[in-house]
Amino acid sequence: MSLSVENKHTDPESKKGLSGRRIFGFVLLGIAAVLIVLAVIGYIMAGSGKSVASLDDMRTQAVLHAASDGLVDSIVAQARQDKLKELRGAKDFRSRGQDAINAELDAAGDAARAEAEALYANPTVEDRTGLFNSIESLESALRAFGTLKESERGRYSELYVKLVDSIGDWTDLTGKAGDDDEKLFSLLTDIVPELGNADNAHLKPAFIRLCRDMSDKEHAREEAEIRSGLVSAMAGAVGDFSALEGLDDDALWEELIRKVPEIEGNERFRDDLLAEAKRRAAAAASGETVEETVKDEGADTVYETQTDYTYFAASDQLKKLEEDNEAAFGALWGELVTVIPDLNNLSSKLQKSMRTSIEDIVWPGSDDFATRYATYTGETGDKGIGFSMKLPASAEKLLVGGIALMLLGLVLVGWNFLTSRFGVPRTIITLFFLYLCLAAVLYDISLPMMMGDILVRMGMYGILVLAMMPGIQSGIGLNMGMTIGCIAGLLGVVMSLQFNMTGFPGLIFACLVGMVVAVPLGIAYSKLLNRMKGSEMTISTYVGFSFVALMCIGWMMLPFNNPKIIWLLSGHGLRVTHSLLNSYAHILDGFLAFEVLGVKVPTGLLLVFLLCCFVMWLFSRSRTGIAMTAAGSNPRFAEASGISVDRMRTIGTTLSTVIAAVGIVIYSQAFGYAQLYNAPRQLGFIAASAILIGGATVRKARVGHVIFGVFLFEGVLVLGQQIANSAVAGGGLSEVMRIMISNGIILYALTQSGGASRE
Amino acid sequence: MNKKSFADHIKKYAVTYLFIMLSVFFIIVSGMDIHYVASQLLLRLNRNAFIVLALIIPIIAGMGINFAITIGAMAAQIGLLLTISCGVTGIPGILMAGFITLVLGSLFGFLIGRLLNKMKGQETIGSMILGYFANGAYQLLFLFIFGSLIPLSDKVTIVGATGVQNTLNLTGSVGLYKAVDGILQVPFLTGLYVLCLCAAAFAVIQYTRKKISLRRMAVTVGVVVFFAALTLVPAIGDIFRKTDRHNAITVPVITWLLIGFLCLFNSTVMSTRLGQKFRAVGQSQTVANAAGIDVDRTRVIAIMLSTVLAGWGQIVFMQSDGIGTFQTYAAHEQVGLYAGAAILVGGASIDRATNTQALIGTFLFHSLFITAQSAASNLFGDSAVGEYFRAFLSYGVIALALVIYAWRASKKKKEGSVDLNALAKN
Repeated sequence: MSLSVENKHTDPESKKGLSGRRIFGFVLLGIAAVLIVLAVIGYIMAGSGKSVASLDDMRTQAVLHAASDGLVDSIVAQARQDKLKELRGAKDFRSRGQDAINAELDAAGDAARAEAEALYANPTVEDRTGLFNSIESLESALRAFGTLKESERGRYSELYVKLVDSIGDWTDLTGKAGDDDEKLFSLLTDIVPELGNADNAHLKPAFIRLCRDMSDKEHAREEAEIRSGLVSAMAGAVGDFSALEGLDDDALWEELIRKVPEIEGNERFRDDLLAEAKRRAAAAASGETVEETVKDEGADTVYETQTDYTYFAASDQLKKLEEDNEAAFGALWGELVTVIPDLNNLSSKLQKSMRTSIEDIVWPGSDDFATRYATYTGETGDKGIGFSMKLPASAEKLLVGGIALMLLGLVLVGWNFLTSRFGVPRTIITLFFLYLCLAAVLYDISLPMMMGDILVRMGMYGILVLAMMPGIQSGIGLNMGMTIGCIAGLLGVVMSLQFNMTGFPGLIFACLVGMVVAVPLGIAYSKLLNRMKGSEMTISTYVGFSFVALMCIGWMMLPFNNPKIIWLLSGHGLRVTHSLLNSYAHILDGFLAFEVLGVKVPTGLLLVFLLCCFVMWLFSRSRTGIAMTAAGSNPRFAEASGISVDRMRTIGTTLSTVIAAVGIVIYSQAFGYAQLYNAPRQLGFIAASAILIGGATVRKARVGHVIFGVFLFEGVLVLGQQIANSAVAGGGLSEVMRIMISNGIILYALTQSGGASRE
Repeated sequence: MNKKSFADHIKKYAVTYLFIMLSVFFIIVSGMDIHYVASQLLLRLNRNAFIVLALIIPIIAGMGINFAITIGAMAAQIGLLLTISCGVTGIPGILMAGFITLVLGSLFGFLIGRLLNKMKGQETIGSMILGYFANGAYQLLFLFIFGSLIPLSDKVTIVGATGVQNTLNLTGSVGLYKAVDGILQVPFLTGLYVLCLCAAAFAVIQYTRKKISLRRMAVTVGVVVFFAALTLVPAIGDIFRKTDRHNAITVPVITWLLIGFLCLFNSTVMSTRLGQKFRAVGQSQTVANAAGIDVDRTRVIAIMLSTVLAGWGQIVFMQSDGIGTFQTYAAHEQVGLYAGAAILVGGASIDRATNTQALIGTFLFHSLFITAQSAASNLFGDSAVGEYFRAFLSYGVIALALVIYAWRASKKKKEGSVDLNALAKN
């Protein structure tokens, strides 16, 4: 309906030929072509011997510059120090202001700099071959060392992540092993067999230390948990703290134990709790309340295990390469000393810092023309080298800029076609996604790795997004209350944990329990929605929110009793976050996983997602599915042709709820953790925005919308997060982007659906 | 009063009566000192009433619960931030913040109104999601634009990083804390007596001017005298008086006057031409349109008023709240939720609301809020349950009100179609 209106509106414009937008688009395309041609020329020049030779010359110059610069700096620092000593010796030192002293120090420094620069700047060398050769040999030594170090760190990181991801309870391990390191290590090798390999032998002490540290940290965390549990128990049980004002410590402690039985036996927190109680009592006396806040755990925070390299240890081979490296630098140092003899006067500390800066110049970590050029010019500050160097150095930027302009130009030229075909938001977000890919290239973010992440997140969120589909098809619109299904699924997960089920049986059990619980909930919920035609989205949002809040109480009260999943302190109530590492985390991701072109494909996860999509597709082709879609898209017509609209809506809603239950189980296994309480609250919004980005409307949805939407949405989020992190110091930008995209797309869908059609 | 109308009354205010019972039950179960509960309630009432009252106009204009008042709160926070940054203190500071809120709130309200006009019938959910969306924009502004593109004094920014500090302090040299509350504080009982006196005098004057009946005047005076007399009972009066266990409860006069003015504004605006338009648009947009009212424009004005008022309400809240600091990035988040829940508890619905309902609702909602934690702890032996119960109350009452409203509307639609047939016959 709205589509045809749009077409009518835009057709005359496109017939007019060239609108301003198209002209601008063509101009952009022209500029893009020029940039891309320049970039290609740049790449060709970068490969030519001549440019590389002059780049090598620049390097020699940069090394000399670094040496002389360091020397000059050290002389200046020395001069300032001497001057300061002299001033300190003078009688009027204390009476003089800081500014005056600084000015004098600066003057002394400047004088020394002028003198030193006259002596050492631009050192002249008759014959550079010796210097050149020693730089070459240092480069190859550094390259070998760097490559090996990189691979060893990679191997270490792999082991680290594997270990940290698969151990849920470190204190348990250290408890079993006691002080015996050997026993501890054998326990570790039981968990990660690769640790026992001969070529990892040098890492053994590192991992033992890691395990001990982790266990200590975990212990501290548990203590903190108990402490905060006690504080909130105290806050609740006491309520009015003003009655406690003025009691002395012992009396207060007695009183607290009387009111809050849990405190008994936790003498180690005595000081903390007393201080807290006093603080509250003082606040209460002055008529203020201390607000208790329940922290909202965001549903979308993916913990990724970050490798901690402080435990890294080098292998013998690496140590040997380091020695080679030492020798090569010694040779270069010798050459430098022949040019600037005074270098020998430097203190060993300054020599060391000069060494790192020289090494960074000799081997900047890559053979890339632009990186090398930037490093050398950064040192010498000399950019006055002709076009022949600048063009190849900026070839990548030119290429990326050219492609970016080209994309924009193409979109502008084909705007009418694209928007009538894909809609405005999808066009813009796709363009945004492509731009993020380009930005990833500029920031040296590995696209294949990102693609692997996107695939994992696709599998993780996919089924949840799929749950939106039957809701839309059956005519209830965006089913924000799918969180009801999510809670059913989470119930399945905690039940599997309660019975200590692991592996595929646990996962399947969780899914089945979730589905079984979801069916009656979904039916009841759909009966409610059937009475609320026209305002389903508002109602479903708040019913979902209320159900989440109600279940918060439910999670506290349900009679689970496996000590692994309930609060340590009070002995009842489920914890917020449950690690699935010891049960079935990532088993689908790992199933038949393979790597292609550097992209890690989580085969099992994607297969399950695609299988669900396929089943859903089959269903929508079935008699019931067709009837459901008919009931959703035109209820009056459906009613007239003998379809029970209410029954179809019930089927659609229930199906949506059941799929959501499965979805959250799969989500939790891919995430590695199951999160209860407020965590599922926003999942409906995430799923809704994904399917809308995929091109669905509040009245129409297909499987293709689900797949494309979840790819695009997660793609934008994953890439956006990485790029935001490398572009802007301090996080937050990616979260802002998520909030704005996700809610913006829902708002857009609302403006398209609501409007004058109602009332 | 006949039986039927009484039954209707109970039905109409079922939610309110339910909450009255819950409140009483919770106050008893929580075992809290009644003086403490009373003082907290008064505090919270004067902090929150203004924002809740800001919801009334859009409800009457048929736009449902305007959850986008969070955006008004954001405008107020921007105002306060700029005020702190400029170093204006005291009343001038509050006025400056209020002026900035007026400007920004009108602008934002205009935009919100335009957007909501594109999603008629879905305003409640639309305004809620709009609030979420604006929260993103707010974070962007405070994290990345303030302090870099828009320079601010280092009183509010983090030195050596971008963005505004996590918590902003209104106390000390900033001089905004209790700037309104602190102008004039009187003991609660004094305030109550003055209020009673005024009400009685007003009733008598109205009677002598023949505006109200003798019976009406007698009832008003009687109620007033009853309340005044009630405080003479020592057990009740002592709650508010200074005793050896606690200080007297005082109330900030100016804040209450502001709330009073807003009530007055809400009721007088309804008798103006603009108010008639609000009502007409709220009852039926088609009819209003036929009567020559610019429906969209009227709706935009309603939202602009609501946004600005909510912003001022947020300033009233901020200057009074807690210990004088606010969470820069989170203080606005729950504003819409709590205000919406409060007005619904008071018996308002999606298309009807009055000042009394807003005030009663705020009172009831916050009485539950204060006692829920202790009550839950006593009932279930776990204080966290109380915290979750509060959240459930907020969401649950909104869901309930929406369900009741939608249910009634669908019922009415069925009846309405019958009426239409009857009309056609005539």
